[in-house]
Amino acid sequence: MDAAIEISGVSMELEGQDGLTDLTLTVEVGEFLALAGPNRSGKSLILKLCAGLVAPDGGTVRVLGQDLAALSEEELAGLRQRVGVVLHQPGLLSNMTVFNNVALPLRYHCGMEEEGLRSLVMAQLELFGLEALWNRFPAEINEGEARCAAIARALILGQELLLLHDPTEGLDAPMIQRLGQLRTRYRGTKPLTILATMRAYSPLMETADRVAFLRDGTIQAVGRQQELLAAADADMRGYLQ
Amino acid sequence: MNGVSQGTEQVAGQGVLVWVGRKAIDAYSYVADLGALVYVALRELARPSPQGRGEAFRVISRQILFTGVDALPVVSAIALMLGLIIITQAGTQLPKVGAGDLVGNIIVVVVIRELGPLLTAFIVVGRSGTAITTELGNMRVGQEVTALELIGISVTRFIVMPRLVGMILSMICLTLYFDTVAVLGGFVVAKVKLTVPFAAFAHAVTQSLSLTDVIVTAAKGMLFGTAVAAICCHHGLSVQSSYTEVPQQTTKAMINSVTICLLLDILVTGTAYF
Repeated sequence: MDAAIEISGVSMELEGQDGLTDLTLTVEVGEFLALAGPNRSGKSLILKLCAGLVAPDGGTVRVLGQDLAALSEEELAGLRQRVGVVLHQPGLLSNMTVFNNVALPLRYHCGMEEEGLRSLVMAQLELFGLEALWNRFPAEINEGEARCAAIARALILGQELLLLHDPTEGLDAPMIQRLGQLRTRYRGTKPLTILATMRAYSPLMETADRVAFLRDGTIQAVGRQQELLAAADADMRGYLQ
Repeated sequence: MNGVSQGTEQVAGQGVLVWVGRKAIDAYSYVADLGALVYVALRELARPSPQGRGEAFRVISRQILFTGVDALPVVSAIALMLGLIIITQAGTQLPKVGAGDLVGNIIVVVVIRELGPLLTAFIVVGRSGTAITTELGNMRVGQEVTALELIGISVTRFIVMPRLVGMILSMICLTLYFDTVAVLGGFVVAKVKLTVPFAAFAHAVTQSLSLTDVIVTAAKGMLFGTAVAAICCHHGLSVQSSYTEVPQQTTKAMINSVTICLLLDILVTGTAYF
């Protein structure tokens, strides 16, 4: 199986923030890997590295077969059309409705006609249970709805890789369920790889293929959630169940 | 004692020199940053790629609507009042000293060449420039700018270039509109006080007005629009992580815009008329 993400020998030091020490991690195509661990353990930094927002001090990061350090600004922008990212703040444009936020990548990158665009965007909103909120502005919806809208926008171009920062934050039970079913729904068309950070246990973790537990910038254990639980110390157990 | 005081003076002198040097370097790098921002925005405008063109055009239209069309009432009011003041003063005072023939000259020099472009720039800075800085600053703090980059949308193409183009076009039109309203409207308003008939007034103005004046006025509008848009975008995008930075950057953007517009005005006037 090909790797969607290959991080090898990455080290990074950020003043006053989390760092990473000689980190090596591979996420296969179509896999869902959850990054668990305490705050400042390096989970968010891994997401930012994969999104090309920060560069490592040493080591290499390959995303969808491309070495991020070797990409020009335009090539990185091209790669980003294949990678959906939702960080801690959903980043919806505050002067656009939910519909226009989700439609923005289609309008910008594909220059789609409004008629075709409307059905596509409404179908995407339905997938996340947001169809009734299509004409609301970000300030008029709650945190969970904004996060779901941001994920809907991050996947509207049919992205192959999804990088999520604490995806269940602010989500209610049906929203978490929908998010858990995301890969199943996409499986019919093409494989979707997901890398998501989780700073506390969430039911979404149970749908992950593997969980990587991080502490102090290093990966302490990787495996299926149940396997990790069986071998976990008391501290690690708190993050896994 | 003398030696000690000489040494202190020398150290103080060096301190001033260091301070001046640092300020000069800061000013140089600030202007270089603005120049780079304008360059990449114009390069983006000239790039043939159709990607994002429709969205950029939409943002340009909105910018022209907000900066140009929505500003017409306030620009009209200020132009009328300025025209009233200048034309009343020139029309009543100059004939007393036997210089009534210079009314047209005074209007062209004061209103069309100088105050029109400058006051229009100040109105635009206060209305639209501050709005741009605040909007972009809030977008930075809310990670909207990062989110745009993450979906492969060029911040230069989607944010900076449309604001720059919209601001330049609006500024040129508003400057010419300001001058027209100030001269014609001011005359109509002041007519009750003036003894000069409209035909004579219009003749005096057209005699004093040259094509160079119109071109230089439009050029000023273009330069002021470029400067205001670049400065306001630069300060808005300089906001890092706190909402308290937004008003601080807005204040800096406003002061720097006004200062740079005045410097550009001196430069253009010096180049065109000396």
